[in-house]
Amino acid sequence: MKNNDVKFTLPMLAEPRTVRLRFRKVDNLQYISHLDLQRTFNRVLVRAGLPLWYTKGFNPHIKMVFGMPLPVGSESECEMLDIRIEREMSEAEIKERLNRELTDELLVLDVYVPSEKFTAIAYAEYEYTIVTTGADAALAEQVEKALVGGNLTVTKKSKSGEKEISLSEYIHSAEVTFDAGVIAIRAKLSAAEGKYISPEALITALRRETGILTGDPTSEHYRILRCRALLADAQTEFR
Amino acid sequence: MNEKISSILKTVEKPGRYSGGEYGAILKDKNAVKARFAFCFPDTYEIGMSNLGMRILYGCLNKEPDIWCERVFAPWVDMQEKMRTFDVPLWAHESGDPVKDFDIVGITLQYEMCYTTVLRVLQLSKIPLLAADRGEEDPIIVGGGPCAYNPEPVADFFDCFSIGEGEDNLVEFTKLYIRMKEEGRYTREAFLHEAAATIKGIYVPSLYDVSYNDDGTIAAITPKFDDVPKQVEKCIIADMDQAYFPENVVMPYIEAVHDRIMLEVYRGCIRGCRFCQAGMIYRPVREKSHEVLNKQARCLYDNTGYEEISLTSLSISDYTELEPLTRELLEWTDPNMVSLSLPSLRVDSFSRELMDRIASVRTSSLTFAPEAGTQRLRDVINKNVREEDLMRAVNVAFSGGKTNVKLYFMNGLPTETSEDIEGIATLAQRVVHEYYQNKERPKGCSPQVTISVSCFIPKPFTPFQWEAQDTMEMLKEKQEYLREKVTDRKVRYTHHDARVSHIEAVLARGNRKLGKALLLAAEEGFCFDAWDEFFDYDKWLSVFERTGIDPAFFANRQMGLDEVLPWDVIDCGVSKEFFKRERARAYAEATTPNCREKCAGCGANRLGGVRTCCPSGGAEK
Repeated sequence: MKNNDVKFTLPMLAEPRTVRLRFRKVDNLQYISHLDLQRTFNRVLVRAGLPLWYTKGFNPHIKMVFGMPLPVGSESECEMLDIRIEREMSEAEIKERLNRELTDELLVLDVYVPSEKFTAIAYAEYEYTIVTTGADAALAEQVEKALVGGNLTVTKKSKSGEKEISLSEYIHSAEVTFDAGVIAIRAKLSAAEGKYISPEALITALRRETGILTGDPTSEHYRILRCRALLADAQTEFR
Repeated sequence: MNEKISSILKTVEKPGRYSGGEYGAILKDKNAVKARFAFCFPDTYEIGMSNLGMRILYGCLNKEPDIWCERVFAPWVDMQEKMRTFDVPLWAHESGDPVKDFDIVGITLQYEMCYTTVLRVLQLSKIPLLAADRGEEDPIIVGGGPCAYNPEPVADFFDCFSIGEGEDNLVEFTKLYIRMKEEGRYTREAFLHEAAATIKGIYVPSLYDVSYNDDGTIAAITPKFDDVPKQVEKCIIADMDQAYFPENVVMPYIEAVHDRIMLEVYRGCIRGCRFCQAGMIYRPVREKSHEVLNKQARCLYDNTGYEEISLTSLSISDYTELEPLTRELLEWTDPNMVSLSLPSLRVDSFSRELMDRIASVRTSSLTFAPEAGTQRLRDVINKNVREEDLMRAVNVAFSGGKTNVKLYFMNGLPTETSEDIEGIATLAQRVVHEYYQNKERPKGCSPQVTISVSCFIPKPFTPFQWEAQDTMEMLKEKQEYLREKVTDRKVRYTHHDARVSHIEAVLARGNRKLGKALLLAAEEGFCFDAWDEFFDYDKWLSVFERTGIDPAFFANRQMGLDEVLPWDVIDCGVSKEFFKRERARAYAEATTPNCREKCAGCGANRLGGVRTCCPSGGAEK
C-alpha cells in the first residue's frame, strides 16, 4: 500500500515552481471533454503524491493552466499543462509518479520547467487520416486543391451569432497524400490566441466542399492527431 | 473500442459515456478466462458508476483469475438510435465485445422504474426477452439488488436471481458454471437447477409453479422439485472487516453522479422505520471497525486522489465508532485538503461538533428527514424523532451559520389525517420561527426552509407491506391541501409526482402477471422510466389495460395478513411475524426501541454476523 504523505517531508521551495507537462490524449481519451480532463488531472496529480501548491483562498485548490483547447474527437501528442509545486521534486520523478497513475492513452511524455508562455504558440501541426467511400488519388487531389489555394469556408458560432468565415486564412500549409485507400493530410493550422481554429473545422469544410465522410459512418471514419505546437515561424517546436 | 463504434461516437452526446479506457478498468485476455461476466447497471454510465455495489462486485468477480467481469450500461437514446440505424449490438465497456457473447449477464435492480430499461438493454443486446425463449447459446441472465427481493414482476425475463449480498454468492455461481462447462454436463436447465439446489440465495423462477385464487390473489408458490428450496434465504457477509474491499477502483473520466470516495461504514440499520425497505432487508446490522475503515479510506485516497470522502450507510450517526473514525480520518484528510461528508444525518444525534467535522460546512444547507408532520404519525411509522430533536438540530445549524434547511416528508402514510398534513406546514413554520429566535443566526440573511414531500409506497418486507397506497386522487388532494397550508414565502414546497409513485407501487408489489404488461411496454418502446422526461403515465395505464392488469389490485388494495404474498418465496431474514407485530404496534401508535436499546426479535440474528448488536443464536422463528 502506498502512502502519499511522503510529499510533506520534502524540502520547501522558496517560491512555488511552475512545471510543464506535455502529455498524450489519444484513442478512447479523445472523447473526454476539457472539463472532464481537468477533473481527471486534479485527481491524477493528487494520487501521484506531488507536492502541489494550493491557492490560499477560502476554498484552496490546485493551480492548473492548460495549453491550446482540443475538441472532443481529436487526438494529440502535444497537450500541455502547467502545474505548481511547493516542495522540491525532480522533473524525472514527477513524470515517473504521474505515469504510474495513467494509462497509455493519457501518458505524460515530458516534464520540464517552461521558458515560454502558452501565448507564444502560433501554429499547430495536425495529421488527418481519412477512410471514406470512393477514396482514390483523384479525390485526394480534389481535397488538396480545396485546402491549398481553394476557398474553404466554415460557419463559426460566436456570441453575436453565426457567421461564415474563410478557412483559408487559418491554413498555413497543407499536404495531401493517398496510400492504401487512406487519404492523409498533414496541415499546419493557426493556433494563436484569438486566431485559434479547431482542427475539426477542416473536416467540416471538406465534407461540404468535396463530399468526403458523408456516407455510412460504420464504414467511414477519420482521425485527427495534433502532433506539434509551433512558434511564429511555423517551424520551431514550442516547448 | 472497435472502429464501427468510433465514428458513431463523434456524433453522439457525451461520448465519454461509451469510450471506456478508464484508469483502473480491468482488462484480461478473453481466451485465458473460463467465464465472461457482464455486469449491467440498467441506467446511464454516470448513474451506474456511482453505485458502490457494482464497484464491489466488479472487483470481487475479477479477483478470480478464471473470471473476467466487464461493465455494461444503458446507452442514452441518441446512441440507441444510432445502434438501431447501423445495426450495432450492445457491447461491454472494457472489451467492446457484444453482450450476447458473454457467459453470464448480471443485472442490478436498484429501483423498480428501471425495469423497462432492463428490457431495452436485452433488446439492444439481441438477447431474447423471455427466459423461456433463450437457447443454449444465450447468456444466463441473473438479477440482483434490492428489487430482487420481490422478483416476481420481472421473473419472466430472468433466468435466476441472486438474493442478498453477492460478494461470495456470484463468485460461487460463476464457478459452478465453469465447473459444469468443464465437466461437459452444462445445459441451461441443468445449471439453473443445480444452482438453485446447491447455492444459497439463488432463486430460479422457472422452477416454481404459482397458482392463483379466483380473486386474483396467489394460492401457492410451489417448487417443482424436492431439492429446490421452498423459500430462498438471502446471503450476507458475516464479518464486514473481512469482506472483500475494492482497493483499486475504476476512475470515471466523465463526472459520475456520486464522484467521490464512498466508504461503506456498516450494513443494516438499527432503527426500524416501518415504511423503510432498506432498513429491513439489509439486517442484521454489521459494522466495520474504525481501524479497518481508516485504513481502507487512506488506501482509497492514495489510489484515487478524490477530494471528498463520503461515509455511507443508512444512518451514519448510529455508527458506534463514529467519534474515533472521524478523529482518525481528520488527522490525514485535513492536511491533504480532503473533505468528509455524511449523507444520512438523524436529527437526534446531530451536534455542533459533528457539523464542524463534515464537509457540508462549506455549503449553507442541511437536510433532515422527519418524514411526518405530527408526533402521532411519527410514532406510527416508528421514526423515533421528536419535534424538540428537530428544533435542537436546526438551531445547531443556524448557530453554525446555515440559513437553508431541507426537510423530507411523506404523504399517504397509513393512518394519515388532514391534521398530520397540516403538521408538515406547521413544523416548517416553526423552523422559520426558530431561526429568528436564534441570536447566533447569520446576520442579515433570511432563512429558506424547503419541504420536499414524497408519496408513501408500500414496499415488500416492511411492516407496511400489506397497506393500500392512497389513490391518485387522494394523493393529489393531499398535495393541494398542503400547498394551501404553506403560506410563508420562506417555506418552499415541492412534492413528488404521484403518478410515478403509483406505478412504482404496482411494480414493487406485483406478481408474475405483470410480466406481460412489461413485455408489451418493451414492445412499445418504453425506456428510462426513472427519468421524468420519458415517464408517461397514460401509456402505462394503457399497457395495463391491454394486458388485463388492474393497477389498483397491486397498489391500492389492502392485502390480507394471511394472503400468500408474491415475495413469500424469498426469505429476507426478518420474519413475517415480526412485520405483523410491528404493523399492529403502528396502528396502536406505539414505537419500538431501536435494535441497540432492545432487541425486537425480528429474526435476522439467525443469519449470524460479526460486530452486530443482535443477541447471538437463532432467537426466534
